[in-house]
Amino acid sequence: MAERFPRLAAGWELVEDALREVRAHPLRSVLTLSGIVFGAASLVSMTSLARAMKEMAYRDLESIGFPRSYVVWDRGPRSDAQRAVDLRHPGLRLADLEALRHMPGVSSVHGRNPGTEMVVSAPAGQRLARVEGVDAGYLEVRQFPIAAGRSLRALDVMRVSRVAVVGTLLQSDLFGAADPVGRTITIDGVRFLVVGTVAPPSFEIAPIDFDFAARRIYVPYTYLTRYRDGQGRLSGVLVTADTATEFGRVLQAGTMLVRQRHGGAEDFEIENEAADVQEDLAMADGILAGWNVVMYAIAGVTLVVGGIGLFSVLLISVRERVREIGIRKALGADDGAIRRLFLAESLTLAFLGAVVGIGGGAGLILITEFISRQFGRSFAIAIHPPGVALAIVFAVIVGLVFGWYPARRAAKLDPIEAIAGV
Amino acid sequence: MAALIAARGLTKTYRLGQVDVPALRGVDTTVDAGEFVAIVGPSGSGKSTLMHILGCLDTATAGSYHLDGEDVSRFAGKRLAQVRNRKVGFVFQTFNLMPRLNVEENVALPLKYRGGVPRSERRERARALLERLGLSHRIGHRPDELSGGERQRVAIARALVGSPAILMADEPTGNLDSHAGAEVLATIEELHRDGHTIVMVTHDADVAARAQRTIHIADGRVVA
Repeated sequence: MAERFPRLAAGWELVEDALREVRAHPLRSVLTLSGIVFGAASLVSMTSLARAMKEMAYRDLESIGFPRSYVVWDRGPRSDAQRAVDLRHPGLRLADLEALRHMPGVSSVHGRNPGTEMVVSAPAGQRLARVEGVDAGYLEVRQFPIAAGRSLRALDVMRVSRVAVVGTLLQSDLFGAADPVGRTITIDGVRFLVVGTVAPPSFEIAPIDFDFAARRIYVPYTYLTRYRDGQGRLSGVLVTADTATEFGRVLQAGTMLVRQRHGGAEDFEIENEAADVQEDLAMADGILAGWNVVMYAIAGVTLVVGGIGLFSVLLISVRERVREIGIRKALGADDGAIRRLFLAESLTLAFLGAVVGIGGGAGLILITEFISRQFGRSFAIAIHPPGVALAIVFAVIVGLVFGWYPARRAAKLDPIEAIAGV
Repeated sequence: MAALIAARGLTKTYRLGQVDVPALRGVDTTVDAGEFVAIVGPSGSGKSTLMHILGCLDTATAGSYHLDGEDVSRFAGKRLAQVRNRKVGFVFQTFNLMPRLNVEENVALPLKYRGGVPRSERRERARALLERLGLSHRIGHRPDELSGGERQRVAIARALVGSPAILMADEPTGNLDSHAGAEVLATIEELHRDGHTIVMVTHDADVAARAQRTIHIADGRVVA
């Protein structure tokens, strides 16, 4: 192999020479490297951490389906409507929901009724609570976990059963210490059977408060819809796309479909949850970008400080090896060969520092994961490859920049004076 | 046949502050291929300067110098380094071996600066020379594990590994006891018998007497 790639072989020999020097001064080499090690370690761990946090936050939002969903709300004619077409109000109907369900790229559709605050009477007390009308599967799509009993089922919705799922944060107010499942409550004077309780969703990291989800009472939307708006009508349809990438198309197609079915009337409104999420994510990105700038600055300064350490040690190395340089020149080494010798040493040291630093960064990540486990959260932080690449590139640049002057100085030595050891 | 070394009017002047200090004042000398020549003179006579110029470590201020048919007095930098590498083998008074390299690596070192000689071939040539000089058993040792005489013979092997036209020895026995010195001189004489051209600088008349011919230097001139 060496015969086929002579330049590669010569380069490798330079690295071997450099490693020999590194081994000859282990302590000095370690001290020289420390700055670059810390710089690389912080670069790798911080970029990985930032990336992992962003991904976890996104996963949190993704888990409740927000980046993939929108709601079509029945709104009625606009207050300034005058033309006949604008004044028409066919309203959202179950047929609209079925039509939306059969669009390509749609994962699920759920009827919804935002509900209102109603008086709820229960064994342990009476209070005002938000009663929301939902479809079967809605709590599951939103990842609101059922704490006890069961969720609302398709049959409940179809039969307009008077069953309710109560949020866990209402539980003690309404039932005290007793088990709510199987009890009867009255909502606006109508008796409902409590079939289950629902807890707020838990997130890995996203700083979103979803406790309100557990302060509501969920009943079949068909009950509220009939109760409020009359048979066959819906207040809203939640549409969830298969993937976030298909979302845009599904949103557009759904809007057009409903408009077409309503004969061109704009009697509905789209609540784009995905766009809200994107806005939140963009804000998070902005914060992360600021954080990244600070981090890169710190890592950069550390690496430059490391480079200065490298620089001074290389100057010492050149001074120590003046005689050796003279001998090498007497044996036929030209200035370039001497320069390469010291640049290789500088680059090798810097690269070693980067490699050790990347290992150190991985160690910091493991420690972070360990600490997160102690707090009951299992962060899985992947090493961010661009951070690793950046650490290596940065270290190589530092090695070249700070190795250049000592190498040049070594190359310029006069062989006779150098052999004499002047 | 053309002389291997042909120097005409070599002058070297060092500038110390405002003063010009002449080290060589017009040296003419020739050395034929296969000769064993000693350059002798008291310290400060300019013999070391002459050897540095003949060995292409330094260039003359004036005069011409032909080495193996090439006018090297006009060479500098990379070209001069290549002349040193290909034409000249140096042996120093203080051996000047690389302390961190073993014997074989030390001997092979000049071939590294020739370019294009693969490592296996460099190793091969170093081993062959060490065998010829009776140092095969020392191949893996570091210089500080060798005796003075052995170190100088390793240095001679290193000087010869590139098959130079000329072997330059600067006080090769200066740092050795008489026994080791005799051994090294015997090696040099043997190389001469094998056809090598040798230029040796010494201030020791007994050592100089081993050479075929002596060039005496005093005050920067050839006096005999």
